[in-house]
Amino acid sequence: MSCASGPGGGLRHPLRCREPWDEECEKEAVCVIMCASVKYNIRGPALIPRMKTKHRIYYITLFSIVLLGLIATGMFQFWPHSIESSNDWNVEKRSVRDVPVVRLPADSPIPERGDLTCRMHTCFDVYRCGFNPKNKIKVYIYALKKYVDDFGVPVSNTISREYNELLTAISDSDYYTDDINRACLFVPSIDVLNQNTLRIKETAQALAQLSRWDRGTNHLLFNMLPGGPPDYNTALDVPRDRALLAGGGFSTWTYRQGYDVSIPVYSPLSAEVDLPEKGPGPRRYFLISSQVGLHPEYREDLEALQVKHGESVLVLDKCTNLSEGVLSIRKRCHKHQVFDYPQVLQEATFCVVLRGARLGQAILSDVLQAGCVPVVIADSYILPFSEVLDWKRASVVVPEEKMSDVYSILQSIPQRQIEEMQRQARWFWEAYFQSIKAIALATLQIINDRIYPYAAISYEEWNDPPAVKWGSVSNPLFLPLIPPQSQGFTAIVLTYDRVESLFRVITEVSKVPSLSKLLVVWNNQNKNPPEDSLWPKIRVPLKVVRTAENKLSNRFFPYDEIETEAVLAIDDDIIMLTSDELQFGYEVWREFPDRLVGYPGRLHLWDHEMNKWKYESEWTNEVSMVLTGAAFYHKYFNYLYTYKMPGDIKNWVDAHMNCEDIAMNFLVANVTGKAVIKVTPRKKFKCPECTAIDGLSLDQTHMVERSECINKFASVFGTMPLKVVEHRADPVLYKDDFPEKLKSFPNIGSL
Amino acid sequence: MQSWRRRKSLWLALSASWLLLVLLGGFSLLRLALPPRPRPGASQGWPRWLDAELLQSFSQAGELPEDAASPPQAPHGGSCNWGACFDTSKCRGDGLKVFVYPPSGPISETHHRILASIEGSRFHTFSPAGACLLLLLSLDAQTGECSSMPLQWNRGRNHLVLRLHPAPCPKTFQLGQAMVAEASPTVDSFRPGFDVALPFLPEAHPLRGGAPGQLQQHSPQPGIALLALEEERGGWRTADTGSSACPWDARCEQDPGSRQTQRRETLPNATFCLISGHRPEAALRFLQALQAGCIPVLLSPRWELPFSEVIDWTKAAIVADERLPLQVLAALQEMSPARVLALRQQTQFLWDAYFSSVEKVIHTTLEVIQDRIFGTSAHSSLLWNSPPGALLALSTFSTSPQDFPFYHLQQGSRPEGRFSALIWVGPPGQPPLKLIQAVAGSQHCAQILVLWSNERPLPSSWPETAMPLTVIDGHGKVSDRFFPYSTIRTDAILSLDARSSLSTSEVDFAFVVWQSFPERMVGFLTSSHFWDEAHGGWGYTAERTNEFSMVLTTAAFYHRYYHTLFTHSLPKVLRTLADEAPTCVDVLMNFLVAAVTKLPPIKVPYSKQRQEAAPLASGGPGPRPKPQAPAPNCVNQIAAGFGHMPLLSSRLRLDPVLFKDPVSVQRKKYRSLEKP
Repeated sequence: MSCASGPGGGLRHPLRCREPWDEECEKEAVCVIMCASVKYNIRGPALIPRMKTKHRIYYITLFSIVLLGLIATGMFQFWPHSIESSNDWNVEKRSVRDVPVVRLPADSPIPERGDLTCRMHTCFDVYRCGFNPKNKIKVYIYALKKYVDDFGVPVSNTISREYNELLTAISDSDYYTDDINRACLFVPSIDVLNQNTLRIKETAQALAQLSRWDRGTNHLLFNMLPGGPPDYNTALDVPRDRALLAGGGFSTWTYRQGYDVSIPVYSPLSAEVDLPEKGPGPRRYFLISSQVGLHPEYREDLEALQVKHGESVLVLDKCTNLSEGVLSIRKRCHKHQVFDYPQVLQEATFCVVLRGARLGQAILSDVLQAGCVPVVIADSYILPFSEVLDWKRASVVVPEEKMSDVYSILQSIPQRQIEEMQRQARWFWEAYFQSIKAIALATLQIINDRIYPYAAISYEEWNDPPAVKWGSVSNPLFLPLIPPQSQGFTAIVLTYDRVESLFRVITEVSKVPSLSKLLVVWNNQNKNPPEDSLWPKIRVPLKVVRTAENKLSNRFFPYDEIETEAVLAIDDDIIMLTSDELQFGYEVWREFPDRLVGYPGRLHLWDHEMNKWKYESEWTNEVSMVLTGAAFYHKYFNYLYTYKMPGDIKNWVDAHMNCEDIAMNFLVANVTGKAVIKVTPRKKFKCPECTAIDGLSLDQTHMVERSECINKFASVFGTMPLKVVEHRADPVLYKDDFPEKLKSFPNIGSL
Repeated sequence: MQSWRRRKSLWLALSASWLLLVLLGGFSLLRLALPPRPRPGASQGWPRWLDAELLQSFSQAGELPEDAASPPQAPHGGSCNWGACFDTSKCRGDGLKVFVYPPSGPISETHHRILASIEGSRFHTFSPAGACLLLLLSLDAQTGECSSMPLQWNRGRNHLVLRLHPAPCPKTFQLGQAMVAEASPTVDSFRPGFDVALPFLPEAHPLRGGAPGQLQQHSPQPGIALLALEEERGGWRTADTGSSACPWDARCEQDPGSRQTQRRETLPNATFCLISGHRPEAALRFLQALQAGCIPVLLSPRWELPFSEVIDWTKAAIVADERLPLQVLAALQEMSPARVLALRQQTQFLWDAYFSSVEKVIHTTLEVIQDRIFGTSAHSSLLWNSPPGALLALSTFSTSPQDFPFYHLQQGSRPEGRFSALIWVGPPGQPPLKLIQAVAGSQHCAQILVLWSNERPLPSSWPETAMPLTVIDGHGKVSDRFFPYSTIRTDAILSLDARSSLSTSEVDFAFVVWQSFPERMVGFLTSSHFWDEAHGGWGYTAERTNEFSMVLTTAAFYHRYYHTLFTHSLPKVLRTLADEAPTCVDVLMNFLVAAVTKLPPIKVPYSKQRQEAAPLASGGPGPRPKPQAPAPNCVNQIAAGFGHMPLLSSRLRLDPVLFKDPVSVQRKKYRSLEKP
């Protein structure tokens, strides 16, 4: 019977659960049919002739019914989902006109007026958002109803196209829940986008009777056109008690900082007109005003500007003598010249956005879409999403009383900054103004960030256009800091079984004054490390870590044993580095703690013939990598290597048993944007065992492999992060004519 | 009988079949009959209306008759915002000019020194008429004195009332339209964009310089406590977050004896510092945590965070809701190392940039107000929130971050590939012909400027070079060397003294190095500072040693921005000092760059021969007086002016990759550096 009880599960996990039990059902149904037919075929013929015809017909009919029923059931079980989903289809596809009607008695309660002192910590019930492991609020949408008063007259238009889009966007997002008990935020389906289309008192009554209203706590209302004649309030006039308001025209007097959300007034032209992005740069007009229905005083001011500055200023108005059939909202006129709107905005560097009766103007969206820098002249206006968006980067705000100076104010802005603003304006439109969906999701994200501030989206993510996000590097170790010398460094020696050489390395490294700990990573699972008594006795703690698998990436694991910030990665055959060289390397790392500081340097080159990267180990004048056979670096890079390495690089390195050092060079250069530091003169780094094999051919295959690594990593990173430099670090008095015994690091570069 | 038996078995088969049918079919029918239950995960959501296309738009085109032009009014008329209550027309021209009301009676030492610090800054003016901001210091609250209404009060317009400590005295006059800069104002009384929130400074906060941040390393030490909590008597204790569910709440702590209590009178040593109390204690703790590099975790603060208008606190602190303590603790425990690293470093940067001294706090306040006046040419958020901070990145220099030496990484840009050589010709005034030729030979050189700064007349002819050569007539002041001449068009400046001698190879290599370190000074000859126990002061030496902390500006590359900073941000006293003792100018420039970058300068190789024969050092043989004598005193005076010692020592020199390596000279790019 798992078939009958399981469809819910089947729907939910189409891949994991549906297939097995579908098969079961199929078997069961087939078996029933078979059994029945067996009965009929084998035993029936022997049985039926002996009965009376009347009975026979009766039985045959009965059996056929049963059989048909079983087949039908079987078929039904076969396609339970298609049947059910077509069922859902019918449920969902309803007409707005068919929604249930709710009658509001004239004396039903009205909420209090909005509470201006509300803040998140006073008016918002955050406990409702408590149980969410993903740091994402859950939003519930009330079902659509049609509200009528005692006389059956509707309270408002049931729902506008935009509000329907908005609720659809929320419903399709991760925020949505249909479980009212798990919801943290409630969105009424009562459309208050435009205050002019609704009856204020009755709308308030409709809000108050919502099942979880509770003085409006955690309820979110969206309103783009607040107020009405004659005084045009800057916030929705519907009494709403503690409900949050996402409003499109707040002034500083009505906006509750950190509680309300200021949103744009959506411009329907965004969807109608496709304005391709126009690159920044000088445009035909310096300043344009394209608003119709401006107050005469403002229009006078603007026209005075036009007279003063001539061609570069264009003030447009409604067209009076348009022929029939031409959409008047898509045309603007200056004297007898007709312009297409909003296309004309792309001809201007700056576009005036003056306040009308309302502070929030839909033209702001058109202006941004055209990549024109808005000049916002609306005192006390709270710009859309000002809580997170940095409008200084995309707009110029001019006080109303300075309107006559607007031209000189704008002229003082350097051209480079203007271009930056044009780019930013277009990006704001694309990300936050373009559609009702963008507006809805940005609003919810802002509220989400307030409730889970530790998971909030950063300033850069909100404001930086994608091009900047790509090009910029945020160094994880950005604070200029020279770590104290006393901390010392931890040496990590990766070894397999070369015990003798390992012991020599340990003895050599232990002579370095700043060594504070030595960690041996024993990468051989088939062989135990030597007994404790056999290890060289050194002055610092020596720890042996055994690994589970012979992987190269074990060298870069962030072991708990590493207590210092500085790590020296050293191979078990690097015995040629002197104590002075290592100590100096550590000193250099202290001055460059965010870089790889290593001894042998390498270079990547572009091979023009093969059209790919090439690895170079010759004596070159440049370096872009250091080998991690002997290199200092910050232990944070171990964490990055182990957990944040992009793509499959880590596995690739482990599989090929090569290039872990190149991978580390890529990683550090990519995350810090800085070059490596090679210390001390070039030395011959030769491993004693290599000499036995034919050096040349080994070298060549090695070089080919390494080149391959560079090409592979560059493709995974999507760029070549390595930086080429022409310098290396030496002690201040290196090779200077100066008494050797007075030098801090005399033993450098000796072979 | 047999038929009955047969019939019975038939009936059995039939009823069994019926049962099957009912069971199988019944459930399906049931499913059909009942409306589908809402299922989590596969929910229906908002319906797709059949007539969605027919719905009307919320605003009909041309619906809005925009006729009312009266501005929206304040509901009670009492509150102020920037546009309504500040008159920016007074601030035209040279930006913010501040007049400070002279104290009416005897004043405390702190008050006196704050006055002095404002008077020394570039904002100050002595005339109240020419000022755009009138500053009323209300500092000596503890003495019980309250300022009285000043003369030019004018209903408080364009006034800033600065209260470093919350005033216990009653408001003796109506604030009117005056802005209030107050320590940790409550959220309810604070007017965003108009008032300024100050940090709550302890009484003994240093006036200038100030203690640096406590952070010694970027990442938290392993095993360091996750959370530090405030103790009642002003200390901190670290909490064991493993055992107790809510370690900061005594009520839910079952066994108070077992908790890890570490008494600390000083600063907390933990990754996070939980601050939940009310001001002023919480505000004080907040600053302590910031200095200690302990990431402040504020539980529903009812007070405005300092300079919240410009500082992005989400980068340095965590503000969480006190009603969800478990979520906060879980979030702290799960926070990624990358985030912890970033937050920790940001606390230190903010502390050093804006909070470590009273002077910084006051200058930041004025800078915030200046930014409001500047509008589009104000500091961008990047400049405020990344090192070296807005006080050291003057927005008058440029509004594009790429023009500064500090933001190339964040901007994905690179410094320009050319430099301008600025040659200072002091007495005796010989045209530096050889030097000009050496510099002009560099492939990276864009222009040569000669700053003629001596009594002799300008020579009529200059050597023929392909480089554009400009001669600037100096006024004889040493600080002119670091004036931001508009003729300098490249990012990099090679500052030279007429008596310096350099080879083209040296110039080329040094410039290539500078491109990797555009915020630092890259020089050839060095000197060091040291602490002189015998004299109890700083000492200065130009001897060759194993380390150095300054490079001589008689031959050094640095960013053009430092000229602007030198001229416009250094206190007048220090610049005068440099003019009076010319050798000090080197030290002063090094101090300035070190204070900005918090890094030592960079040394590149310099040919040994010349180093001995005719040193670049101003102390070399020449008609100028020996400079070694005034130096130590000068280091001490400048250090006093800065309030601390910013110089840092380096033990390395950057050489070409193949420098003096045993390979053929032909392979080396900078061959002439190899000459013995």
